[in-house]
Amino acid sequence: MDLLLQQTVNAFALGGTYALLALGLAVVFSIMGLINFAHGELMTISGYTLMYCGIAGISFLLAVPVAIAVAMIAAVLMERIAFRPVRNSSAATMLVTSFAVSMILQVLFQNFISTRSQPVILPQVLSDSITLGGLVIGLNKIAAIVATVVMLVFLDIFMKRQKTGIAMRAAAEDFNVARLMGIRANTVIAGAFALSGMLAGVAAVLWVSQRSSVDPHMGFLPVVKAFIAAILGGLGSLRGAVAGGFLLGFIEIYLAAFLPPEMQEFREPIGLSIVVVVLLFRPNGLIPAASLKSEKV
Amino acid sequence: MKKTLLASTMVAAAALAAPAIAETLKIGLATAQTGGLAGYDGPVIEGLHIAVDEINAAGGINGNIMIELIEKDVRSDPAQTAIAVQELADEGVSVIVLPCDADPSLAAIGTVSSAQIPAISTCASSPTLPMIGGDFMFANFPGDNVQATVSAEWAWGEGHKSAYIIYSPDSQYTTMPLYFADVFTALGGEMLGEDTHSIGQQDFSAIATRIAALDPQPDVIMTSSYEPDFPSMLKALRAAGVTAQMIGSDGIDSPTTFSLGDVGEGVVFTTAGHATEGSPLAEFNAKYEAATGNPSETVFNAVGYDLVIVVAEAVKAAGGSTDPVAIRNAMAELENVRGATSLITYKGTNGMPVREVTLIRVNGGERELVGQPSPTAELIPAPRMQ
Repeated sequence: MDLLLQQTVNAFALGGTYALLALGLAVVFSIMGLINFAHGELMTISGYTLMYCGIAGISFLLAVPVAIAVAMIAAVLMERIAFRPVRNSSAATMLVTSFAVSMILQVLFQNFISTRSQPVILPQVLSDSITLGGLVIGLNKIAAIVATVVMLVFLDIFMKRQKTGIAMRAAAEDFNVARLMGIRANTVIAGAFALSGMLAGVAAVLWVSQRSSVDPHMGFLPVVKAFIAAILGGLGSLRGAVAGGFLLGFIEIYLAAFLPPEMQEFREPIGLSIVVVVLLFRPNGLIPAASLKSEKV
Repeated sequence: MKKTLLASTMVAAAALAAPAIAETLKIGLATAQTGGLAGYDGPVIEGLHIAVDEINAAGGINGNIMIELIEKDVRSDPAQTAIAVQELADEGVSVIVLPCDADPSLAAIGTVSSAQIPAISTCASSPTLPMIGGDFMFANFPGDNVQATVSAEWAWGEGHKSAYIIYSPDSQYTTMPLYFADVFTALGGEMLGEDTHSIGQQDFSAIATRIAALDPQPDVIMTSSYEPDFPSMLKALRAAGVTAQMIGSDGIDSPTTFSLGDVGEGVVFTTAGHATEGSPLAEFNAKYEAATGNPSETVFNAVGYDLVIVVAEAVKAAGGSTDPVAIRNAMAELENVRGATSLITYKGTNGMPVREVTLIRVNGGERELVGQPSPTAELIPAPRMQ
């Protein structure tokens, strides 16, 4: 029983990180129909910011908001430089553009920072753990869960109460009608990118606090996971992204925890098969986007 | 126009005639400048350049054979490696350098065997590489089975009786713990279990929770996983309350391992060398700092230097020949070549060199030399494909 509870805490922490990542993709997709594969590089940029802050002797508490802010700025710049010129092109053009941005950034990191992993100095407290009712919980797990909850609450308020948030929801439902109502396309799209940058920044801090290092390819794996989570939840739906992220986290942790040892090698294919089975029954994802209607992705 | 052509042809002919005195040894580099292996190939190639510059500045091998490098990026991709190696073979290189992992290096087997050009991997340590690769395939690093024997014997000698391994079936290298389990069992130790993970797996909490629930706890946990997996794994284990001795391998010989704070303390790993005062490695590190302006961060720099030393010795042993087959035959007979990290011997092996293995402990965020023991030959497990 204890073991199950312990693994559930693990699943919440991992699922929360996946949810943040998937949300970052979903925010942009819901408005532009773009799956931004360079989202992972925003995380890498945050990671390098943490690294440089550590080298400069800036305390981690201060480095975290700086890293998140840098990811937001980078996301807005990415939109300005790479995605605005192709905004009205086909989905395929935008997808390929995002791959190009991702690769260009990776090569820049390799050539101007280092091909090797760079250590990130983290406060000791993140490696500690506390005992809570018989459960041993790492503080970085608690940080992940708290960060996820805070971000979800913030997003909920932002989307419901803030003017930009409401405009973004309107644009997600029908961009053309939203524009006719006087909503500025540039503001909404830049806002969506800034939001996705913020989510990437928070996720990057959580990601880096586990791995303690940053390398040019750091963003690749999380963006793949986020993509799976976003599809699982329903592409373009924000609630779906959160649901998909948590479900993916639970699938991965429970398989790693409870699959018999001789089956462990096949953990990933089994996990992905479960995702496929879910999609067979819910082809538009767990919580499909409103704009999707009955159309299949 | 005709005159210019004639003139330039004559100049070219003169230029071609000149190297009859000063010969050139072409070394083709089919290594990863980008992609996942770049973090390992990059430092090796840096060290390799230092050795080439040093030899060329002294007038070349034997004072008359200049080394010319032809570099190609294989993007850490096996298919790209095969293509690059084919191109290098077409350009007539005498030696080919392959990436730091057995898997892309294996993609070059067909070409190097049929073109009969000796190939050396920068730092692949899987003993299966020269075994499968045939006569023309060489490695440049202590083998996985040898490293695992050294660490298992050390663990047993420290009085550890039980062990647990965490490995990844994704690459040859990350299955080193299976060799460790063989040796540890042969010594009389007990294996309490094993776990697998995939390379790049972010989360190790499920595995850590399972190991923390074991009763009794293992004395040692051995893994050959490297960044970013190793720090995540170690932190997850420590956060779950697992206090077993961690043993790693050369893949974690990186600055990150020494910057993990309390979590990293006491980790022991095998690697290719240690710069004690006055050692050839310390001498190399001084050269590296002079050449690049930065201190060497990793032993992989010196491993690259060693690679060129080995090639140069082979050329000398072949009587100054730049013929690939002659170099291959001479290389296979090399004995006790003094490299920056170790004495290197290929004689009597299938291409997996006999080199020293160094045990390092993380102590106060610094590297502490545990020892450079020679493994017991009978205990070294036979190479096996995973």
